[in-house]
Amino acid sequence: MKSVVTTVVTAADAAGRFPSQNDLEAVQGNIQRAAARLEAAEKLAAGLDAVTREAGDACFSKYSYLKQAGEAGDSQVKVDKCYRDLGHYMRLINYCLVVGGTGPLDEWGIAGAREVYRSLSLPTGPYVEALTYTRDRACAPRDMSPQALNEFKSYLDYLINALS
Amino acid sequence: MLDAFSRSVVSADAKTAPVGGSDLAGLRSYVRDGNKRLDAVNAITSNASCIVSDAVTGMICENTGLIQAGGNCYPNRRMAACLRDGEIVLRYISYALLAGDASVLDDRCLNGLKETYIALGVPTQSAGRAVAIMKASATALIGETNSPASGGKRFRKMETTQGDCAALVAEAGAYFDRVVGAIS
Repeated sequence: MKSVVTTVVTAADAAGRFPSQNDLEAVQGNIQRAAARLEAAEKLAAGLDAVTREAGDACFSKYSYLKQAGEAGDSQVKVDKCYRDLGHYMRLINYCLVVGGTGPLDEWGIAGAREVYRSLSLPTGPYVEALTYTRDRACAPRDMSPQALNEFKSYLDYLINALS
Repeated sequence: MLDAFSRSVVSADAKTAPVGGSDLAGLRSYVRDGNKRLDAVNAITSNASCIVSDAVTGMICENTGLIQAGGNCYPNRRMAACLRDGEIVLRYISYALLAGDASVLDDRCLNGLKETYIALGVPTQSAGRAVAIMKASATALIGETNSPASGGKRFRKMETTQGDCAALVAEAGAYFDRVVGAIS
């Protein structure tokens, strides 16, 4: 799993040297930003189900045709799977906030997503809509502190860009 | 390879649960004691060559047969290999201490080390003793419990802010014990 510390250690190991001052400074920089990340992760974990539900509702209200016969959400089972996927994405964003990098989203969410959605003929637009709704709905200080919100939104934007 | 953060993510993913609550408490303590941890890594890296040579010297003093003809540290070529291995082990322990997780030590250093030593005829008991001496000096440097009496001419005190670093000393000690356990 890629994170600042593992990247630093991998580079030091490749060179066969002990962690240098530069390496320690890089880790220190990561630690300084960690408080905001962990706050965002905690708030997101606490409200994961509510956030997922709101995002899914927003997507189905904007693209109401999705529930018509023959579309991607024409049965309750399929609708539930859409909510489940959104829950997975929120969980992966929670992981990214914990790790401090996009590793979890890259490895478990984005890698292969395009191919899967294409082979299942699922539209990615509604996912983008749901995630955009979450991004614009979240506000500071109601949900979390401004710095934490900034971290949260940057991962949402990363995912939106990957799915667009 | 994992660090303290990705370790909690991987175990949460196995349960399909977000990381929250009690999991975050452990990570917060990593963040809170981040500077202590960096000082601890620095204590090891800055004194690496001293720690290693001291450990190998101690190992040989306790068992002088190692440097007599036929011993495993005779001739210089094998002595050099011994010093090099000590430094490699210490290096991976410093990585593990920086990451706050033993996976880098396990994956890249300990996996297969015992089998390699047996195949090469390296006495694992002596190697374990050298690691134990490295543990004693490294933990003394991290916890600043070393004294001029035990350090002799090589006495060194790291000039860091005084504070409680018992948890880090215990963590570093556990990594050394892990090496001893893996090769014996």
